[in-house]
This record gives sequence, structure tokens and C-alpha cells, in this order.
Amino acid sequence: MTESTVILVLVIVTALGFDFTNGFHDTANAMATSIATGALRPKMAVALSGLLNLVGAFLSVEVALTVTNAVVNLQTSNGTPKESLTADGGVALLLIILAGLVGGIVWNLLTWLLGLPSSSSHALFGGLIGATVAGLGWAGVNWNGNGSKLDGVVGKVILPAFLSPVVAGIVAAAGTWLIYRAVVGAATKYTENGFRWGQIGSASLVSLAHGTNDAQKTMGVITLALLASGHWTSTSSIPFWVKVCCAVAISAGTYLGGWRIIRTLGKGLVEITSPQGMAAESASAAVILASSHLGFALSTTHVATGSILGSGVGKPGAQVRWRVAGRMVSAWLITLPAAGLVGAIMWYIGDALGGVAGAIAIFVILLAAAGYMYLRSRKEPVGHHNVNDEWDETTAPAERVPANTAG
Amino acid sequence: MVNNLQFSLEAVWKVLLAGLVLGAGLPLIFALGVRSLAWGAGGDAEVHAGGSAGPKPQPVGTVIGWVLFAIVLAGIALGITFIVAGGLGKQLSFEHIFPTIVDKKH
Repeated sequence: MTESTVILVLVIVTALGFDFTNGFHDTANAMATSIATGALRPKMAVALSGLLNLVGAFLSVEVALTVTNAVVNLQTSNGTPKESLTADGGVALLLIILAGLVGGIVWNLLTWLLGLPSSSSHALFGGLIGATVAGLGWAGVNWNGNGSKLDGVVGKVILPAFLSPVVAGIVAAAGTWLIYRAVVGAATKYTENGFRWGQIGSASLVSLAHGTNDAQKTMGVITLALLASGHWTSTSSIPFWVKVCCAVAISAGTYLGGWRIIRTLGKGLVEITSPQGMAAESASAAVILASSHLGFALSTTHVATGSILGSGVGKPGAQVRWRVAGRMVSAWLITLPAAGLVGAIMWYIGDALGGVAGAIAIFVILLAAAGYMYLRSRKEPVGHHNVNDEWDETTAPAERVPANTAG
Repeated sequence: MVNNLQFSLEAVWKVLLAGLVLGAGLPLIFALGVRSLAWGAGGDAEVHAGGSAGPKPQPVGTVIGWVLFAIVLAGIALGITFIVAGGLGKQLSFEHIFPTIVDKKH
């Protein structure tokens, strides 16, 4: 095997690892409310969501080759890698992608450990931006696009992050308010059953949309790596095995279920009822679908969180734990720079050691960090058995993890 | 930056509008369906004074309820078609009011 083939294999494994974390990080977006209200048993909910993500990933045959173009200048506009980066068998480009992916995974695992629903796409983009800045300098980043359409870090990442939770929140609040007005006079016991079905249906739509949106990103990244190392030449299609691997990785991750995050979203923000759950998931599904249609890139996590908050605001007398919401928002704000920082450090380490040794070194660092965080998580396990326990601010997992693990 | 802000705001109000119609409108129709079923069922499905038998069942309520559910299901079917069509490089067109699947414009 040549040098670039070895690195390529590491990139593919790491990319699938990222896809897997993306899956379990986002199970909560679709299923947290259904689990919290008891509309679906926890195991059933993650199985349904995993299956729908699998289906969704296969539906996304649209070529996502230019996914990195939104934030960095690694590719030309038709998807082929920049020639200056492929001179040495693609090693330069592969190292940037690998370092970026490691940044994304490390941040995803850390926020999972803290039970915080941060955006996986921000983590991926953040890691890639950091690694690109380290490798190519600030000019390698596409900050604003060329001004002709919504593009660049500002247009595709930062502005949507501020706007999409607000939009989702307004829709969910309106929906919740309308639903409660509509059923005045009917017995809650009777309506509950109907709303559970509504909740399951709307949550399923969110899962499906998630599979089509998020699996695509990893498919694009892997194909870019294959192009860079000369193992693939078409810019109008993606290798079928890449599609299969990404679909399986994201749905396996979803099925594993990020229980810590499910708990925060389902129990931590709002004590949610079935009508609120239905309103929140419907708002999420509608906003995600409408946005992808209009080319407005957004993070399913931001939308889902905004929707759940909105459903708390829209129900008269409901309690919203703004402290928990505040903690989430601060995690959102630092996701991009934090993942970027990890990505940049990884690139410097990889570059200093050079070639295969550098790539293997950062891969080992990733394994060590992942292993450490997994062991930390076992001290306060959250699973399908205790995901719905009463939320107590003082014993929430996020509160008990000492600050020194954040380094 | 200024351009992006402008493009965002242009996109955002459309997302908000579509979100309100589909994301709050369909749940409202669903809720009205549930309400209507309760009216159709009568008795304990309706809030009534303790000790009394509750209102009489109204079969027409059951019918209206299921019609409303059918509307919601049609809306969801459109949503799924939308996802699938997008994945296959097609898109839904409402040019002729009735939704049709056409090739994607770029």
C-alpha cells in the first residue's frame, strides 16, 4: 500500500466514526419527546428512528460532493479537489480532512458526555475549518461566499444557527397554543391517545429527514478523500459502497441512542406532554424540510431544541428551564471554535510527524480521547432504563461532571 | 456579510411561513380531528359534570374527525414525496396547484 492509501483508509474509518457519533448525537432530535411522554418505549423509539435514518440515507442520492465548499476552499466548484492539494498523492488534503474529522468527533463525544445537544454539522464544519486554517492559512476558509447567494461560514453556518431555532420555536409555540385551544372541552384522557399517534408520526418524519440530510455530509467527505487519492474520478456520482457504509453507520449510531442527550432534551428543558411533543416534532419536520428546499442550511439539533422550547412557551402555565437552555446555547456558541481548535491542533501534530506516521498519531489520539470519554460516561450511565427519571437540576449528568474533563 | 444577511432574511420568512402552515397548521387540523372524535364519542370523552352521564355521542363528529385525519395524512404523504423526490433529483411543483413531480431546477 502506498502512503496515501494508508491515510485514505484512516480517513474513511474516521469519517464513518463521525457518522456514527452524528447518529447517536441526533437520536434525541426526533425521539426525545416521544420517549419523554411515553408515546414510544425507549427501545422502540431508537429502533424506529434508526430504521428511518437508514431509509432516509438511501433516499439521499443527490450528490453531496461539494459539501465542504460551503466553508472551506479545498475543492473546485464541480467537486474535484484543488490540484495544489493532490500533488503528493493527496496526502496534504487527506491530512486536513482527517484532522477536521477528529476535531468533529472529539467535540461530539465531549458534548454527549455532558448531555448537551450540540450540532453535529457545526462540529464537522468547525473541525474542517480549523484543520484548513492550520494547513492552508486563513485564506483557505470560505467566510462569506462570493456575495451572489447564501454561502460561506457566515451564510451557511452562523446566520442559520441564530435564525433557525427562533423560527422553529415560533412555529412550535403557535402549534402548541392552537392545539390546546382546539381541544378545549374534550377529556385529556381521551385526547392523549390521539396525540401519541400524532407524535409518533411527526417524530418519524424528523428521523427520515435527518437521514437524508446528515448522512449525505459524510458521503461527500469520503468521496472527496477518494477523489484526492485518485481512487474515484466521477464528480457526478458517489460510490455505492460509500452510500451503504454511511447509511449503516448513521442508523447504527441512532439505534445506539445518545441517552444522555435524549434525557436533556426530553426531560431537562420542559416537562413535555403529548400535544406539546406533537407540536414540537411537527414544527421541526416542517422547518427542516422547508429549509432544505430553500437551500437554507441548518442544523437539525438547533431546530429540535428551538421547537421543544417553543412548545414550552406556547403552553399556558408550562415551566421552561431556561438555565438548561442557556447551557445548551453556550455549547452551541463554542461548538464551531472548539471543534476548530481540536482540528487545528490535530493538523499541526500530524504535519509535524509527517505522512503516515502523523496520520496514525492523530488517529491514536482520537481513539484515546474516545476511550477516555467512554470510561467517564460509565461512571454515570444513562440508558433506556433511567432516561425518563425525574429531572433534578442538582443531579443532572451535566452538573456532576467536573469542569476539568473539558480540557 | 451584508449580502448573506439579506439572503438569510429572505429565506427565513419563507421558512417561517411554510413552517407555520405545515408545522402548526397540520397539527391544528389533527387536534381538531381529535376534538371531533371526542365529540363523536360523547360520554366520558367530553368534559362534563361529575355524576352525570356526559353528552350524547354525535356520529357526525366521528366522520368529521376521520376526514380531518385524512387531510393530515395527505399533508404527510406530500412531505414524504418531497423528501424522496428531492433525493432523486426531482422536486414537487405547485405550478398547477395540484402537486406534480418535475425535474429539479438549478
